Amino acid sequence: MTDILFYSLAVLLVTLSCCAVSLPNMLHSAIALIGSFLITAALYIMLHIEMLALAQIMLYVGGIVVFMLLIILLTTGLGVDDKLGRISAGKWISKGLITGLLLTGMLYFFTENSSDLLDKAVAKSAAIVTIDQIGTRLLSLENGFIVPFEVISLLLLAALVGAVVIARKDAEKTEDLS
Amino acid sequence: MTLSHCIALSLILCGIGIFGMMTRRNLLGILLSVEVILNGANINFAAFAHFKAADPVAGAVFPIFVMAVSACEIAVALAIILSMYRSKKRLDVYRLEELNG
Repeated sequence: MTDILFYSLAVLLVTLSCCAVSLPNMLHSAIALIGSFLITAALYIMLHIEMLALAQIMLYVGGIVVFMLLIILLTTGLGVDDKLGRISAGKWISKGLITGLLLTGMLYFFTENSSDLLDKAVAKSAAIVTIDQIGTRLLSLENGFIVPFEVISLLLLAALVGAVVIARKDAEKTEDLS
Repeated sequence: MTLSHCIALSLILCGIGIFGMMTRRNLLGILLSVEVILNGANINFAAFAHFKAADPVAGAVFPIFVMAVSACEIAVALAIILSMYRSKKRLDVYRLEELNG
């Protein structure tokens, strides 16, 4: 039962990601990206990490993709960019070939050099991570993640201020207004 | 559903993202492909945390940091895209050549 669910979710995830990457209309690809993020949240629930599913939905679907949709609507109208030339079919096929070769090479490498890490992994499954544990570890001093947590908060603040400064209109115009 | 399946899935997602980064001509499309790659990396972290790790909480915490960093990256990159669109009126990466890269 779980296998069938996992396989169907994986197939859906791969198709939606392909759509997000290759659809000509940017608006459609952003919506496909929303679908792929929701399916990833479902996979996290299947892996018994509910906290990640919640964070995925709130941060990615609620934040990042909405931000992206706003910028798409601001820049390219309804997602159709007529000024953008299409990539020729030859280039498309050659880049697909490069990526396919990379993928098959890595899959071959990993299946040939099989290790204990992968083979014995099934036996040790079902370690359930609760939200309580994650919160305590995130803020604990011993063996915890307090330093990266604080650094991330500084990084978010710097990125926020930097984004506002970069996206602001030209200096002369704002000085005229004030 | 084993660890190998999850790793194969994240590898395929990484390949899709790389393909998108190579074929897109729109700056926004390239950013979107980066998101697909990060998604695959997060699935990898979660799968290892679930199946293998002696310390599964650490594997659950790392994707949260990845999400925070990607939120920063998207905010700054979209600001750059917006100001670039104001000055150039287009987002074609083949035409943005003033850095001579």
